[in-house]
Amino acid sequence: MSEAGVVVLAKPVSGHPLLVPAAVESARKWRFKPRTAPFKTILEVSFLLGGAPSQIADEGKASTATNPTAAAEAEQAVALAHQGKYELAVPHYRAAIALDPNLPGLDLNLGLAYFKLNRLAEAATAFKRATKADPSGFQPRVLLGMSYYGMRRFEDAAANLKLAAAQQPDNIELRFKLAQSYLWSKQYPAAMAEFRFLLTKNPDSAPVHMLLGEVLDADNKEDQATAEFEAAVKAGPREPEAHFGLGYLYWKQKRYDEALREFQAELANQPQHARALVYLGDAEMHAGADKAAADHLRQALKLDPKLRLAHLDLGIVLAAASDAAGAESHFREAIRLDPALPDAHYRLGRLWSSLGRDQDAQAEFAKVKELGAERPPAPLLTVKP
Amino acid sequence: MKYALAAVALAGALWAVVSSQAPIHFAYRPIDFRLDSSETPQRHAPETMAGGVAVFDYNNDGYLDIFFTNGADIRTLKKTSPKYADRLFENDGHGNFKDVTARAGLAGTGFDNGVAIGDYDNDGYKDIFVAGVHGNHLYHNNGNGTFTDVTHQAGLDKPDPQYGPLWSVGGAWVDVNNDGLLDLFVVNYLAWDVNTEPACEASPGVLDYCHPKFYKPTPNQLFLNNGDGTFRDVSTESGIRAHPGKGMGAGVADYDLDGWMDIFVTNDKLHNSLFHNKGGGKFEEVAFETGVALAESGQFISGMGVDFRDIDNDGYPDIFFVALENETFPLFRNLGKGGFADITQSSGMTRLSTPMAGYSPTIADFDNDGWKDLFVTRGHVQSLGYASHVAIEQPNTVFRNLGGAKFQALTGEAGLTAQPPVRHRGSAVGDLNGDGRLDVVVTALAVPAELWINDSPAGNHWIEFQLQGTKSNRDGIGARIKLVAGGAAQYNQVSFAAGYASSSAGPSHFGLGQNRSADLVEIRWPSGITQQLKDVAADRVVKVIEPAK
Repeated sequence: MSEAGVVVLAKPVSGHPLLVPAAVESARKWRFKPRTAPFKTILEVSFLLGGAPSQIADEGKASTATNPTAAAEAEQAVALAHQGKYELAVPHYRAAIALDPNLPGLDLNLGLAYFKLNRLAEAATAFKRATKADPSGFQPRVLLGMSYYGMRRFEDAAANLKLAAAQQPDNIELRFKLAQSYLWSKQYPAAMAEFRFLLTKNPDSAPVHMLLGEVLDADNKEDQATAEFEAAVKAGPREPEAHFGLGYLYWKQKRYDEALREFQAELANQPQHARALVYLGDAEMHAGADKAAADHLRQALKLDPKLRLAHLDLGIVLAAASDAAGAESHFREAIRLDPALPDAHYRLGRLWSSLGRDQDAQAEFAKVKELGAERPPAPLLTVKP
Repeated sequence: MKYALAAVALAGALWAVVSSQAPIHFAYRPIDFRLDSSETPQRHAPETMAGGVAVFDYNNDGYLDIFFTNGADIRTLKKTSPKYADRLFENDGHGNFKDVTARAGLAGTGFDNGVAIGDYDNDGYKDIFVAGVHGNHLYHNNGNGTFTDVTHQAGLDKPDPQYGPLWSVGGAWVDVNNDGLLDLFVVNYLAWDVNTEPACEASPGVLDYCHPKFYKPTPNQLFLNNGDGTFRDVSTESGIRAHPGKGMGAGVADYDLDGWMDIFVTNDKLHNSLFHNKGGGKFEEVAFETGVALAESGQFISGMGVDFRDIDNDGYPDIFFVALENETFPLFRNLGKGGFADITQSSGMTRLSTPMAGYSPTIADFDNDGWKDLFVTRGHVQSLGYASHVAIEQPNTVFRNLGGAKFQALTGEAGLTAQPPVRHRGSAVGDLNGDGRLDVVVTALAVPAELWINDSPAGNHWIEFQLQGTKSNRDGIGARIKLVAGGAAQYNQVSFAAGYASSSAGPSHFGLGQNRSADLVEIRWPSGITQQLKDVAADRVVKVIEPAK
């Protein structure tokens, strides 16, 4: 602050990243009591009253409330919220709202309390009322969007975050959440545009390259998806899931040698990565390295016995090694985990056929014909071996 | 190129052969045929499936001629304009192809899809079966440059009592009961009607060709040759009809060497069928038991055209068929014990073919090194409007056999990017210019057909056998030829059915590498008669007549 009480420099110390720009902007507008020399202080900014961020605590501003009882309930709620006692603050907020529904800003604060308590559905309801009262307000909009985001209602999240981003186009954190919401609500062209925007701000962001890769993969643009994951691996060789994602894309394209290398790299970063172990085993099986494949598939199953592909592949490897009993047991488990997939039935039928159990084989082949439908590899977004 | 001439060193000069560094190389030559499948914004399925072609010598002058099938108005299935005419081009042996369609009487009347060549009446002149959408045609070769449509007399014009008119994509001539007469196997695709076809949107308001799952399967057909110009539908009693599918290609070979010709059928997004001939034309379907029903992934893929020949020189016919991108071009190695092993991955084909969409595969020795290579016409089934999602227009590729069933893909290196990528469809193989190197004719949707003249580096020797059956069928289809040169054996079984909807009916071709002669040629005719030739000089076409015993 200058001697005149004007904010010269404001820097965020903590708080929700999405709200930081608005808080800083508001703090800059405030005027404080003149002092004899420039000074430094920490302000706590709360989104209280009137929809605009207000500074409270020792420099506290006056409430605009007209109902003294409602105002008292609100003050009590704010005080409890400041102490982190959100559970206790909620009834006071609700009482204040009941006493004076027109008291501005209370829905926003109630929503914040619910948000802190991870009661996202209730938070969204409160934020929704707040956006109705203040349709152009940034804070209620972004918090409503984030509540939906937390509830995995990504289409609703995207709709609200988009409106918020229109007000703060350079809010990178906000644009990132918006891009993710587009991706997970399958709005691929919009997601691509957002992630590409983010890459203009930070071309070396491994997570953004990865997420853009996921969008492209989900939109059947495998070559471009692969290029993004290659960029992610280059930008962040230790970024969790980057090597796995790239490996999976290679695997989908049946580029097994390259896939193998990437799964190994992921396992160097995360040795307990069960999916990387399964797909490494699968790639090794395709490369004819059955022993290594079996070892990795078994390791994967120790970590997660429900990995269908691991059972299927282990069955194939064991069948090739003439271990019919072992193969049968794994084929059966693969079928149990997903009876609708034809490949394990096919393999079991082939096993029976090779053992001369023609009737059993025919039953499995009939199942394959009955199931029929093709099942292409899942996009990276939803990959479950 | 006259058969039985000692050497065939003619005509090459006019073909401006240019040798190159790549072990297999082709030079493009145009031919005046443009496939018109009547493409409409409604995207009716047959529009994207046309394009069968045949290479055969229609007038016995020793030069291979070319027959193209063509589309029709999609709503009426009638050739309402000359642009839809099927076309016959006569090879003058000097690199010139003359359109003789009108004289031959082969312009056709309906939406034609595939072609199968075979001398069904053993008169020494090859006849033409044309497979079409809701109507097939059999053209008898009169031996004077003209053909007569004998479909009705032959009994091949009856709609199916259960399914109605069928959409036939191709056929194969094969003597299923070894009576010396070629029988006719017809590959049928799916149940289609222009008036009830579903509309499938690629994006809002934009239609594209529908997935095969939206159509019902139909049965293939087998017609037994009565020997009097008529045929009997034995689809049911032979066991064929019990296995309806969505057939796209048929390869014929005696895979278990039991003396009876078997039939492999690729199906679109459905398991394949392998009809094992139990003898006398009775079949059992054994695709699952023999390991050829599904690709390695265990998934149903878009089976397209197929060829069924020995690739690894062990005497047992192997199976190679193609599919769309991410589905690979599966290669099944015949293990010789009645079963097959999927060697798509170990042969290198998985890695090479995964990004490709193929239509017509043919197995032939394009560099005359004694190992059969694979030529694949490429292009996607979807319309050009879908190009933002997948590569619709693609170049052709030849996969060079490096020996032992390992392959190397040659596209630009083989000269096959000399033309822009398009939607290639059918293909037929034969030595069109008599230089001892196998050329390829390729069709493509809505653009001129392509002649790919083989100008691979000369130096390797070759030999071709023009078989003439006496007790066996005149074309020698089903004859097993074993050739030994330089201590190495190679094999071929005579079959004209190869690729997608197409027919390659030239002599049987063998590359001899540096060997100037074949030490031994052994032919086992379908009649059971075995014939041996010794010390046969290379670089010529040898006419072989089946002996009486």
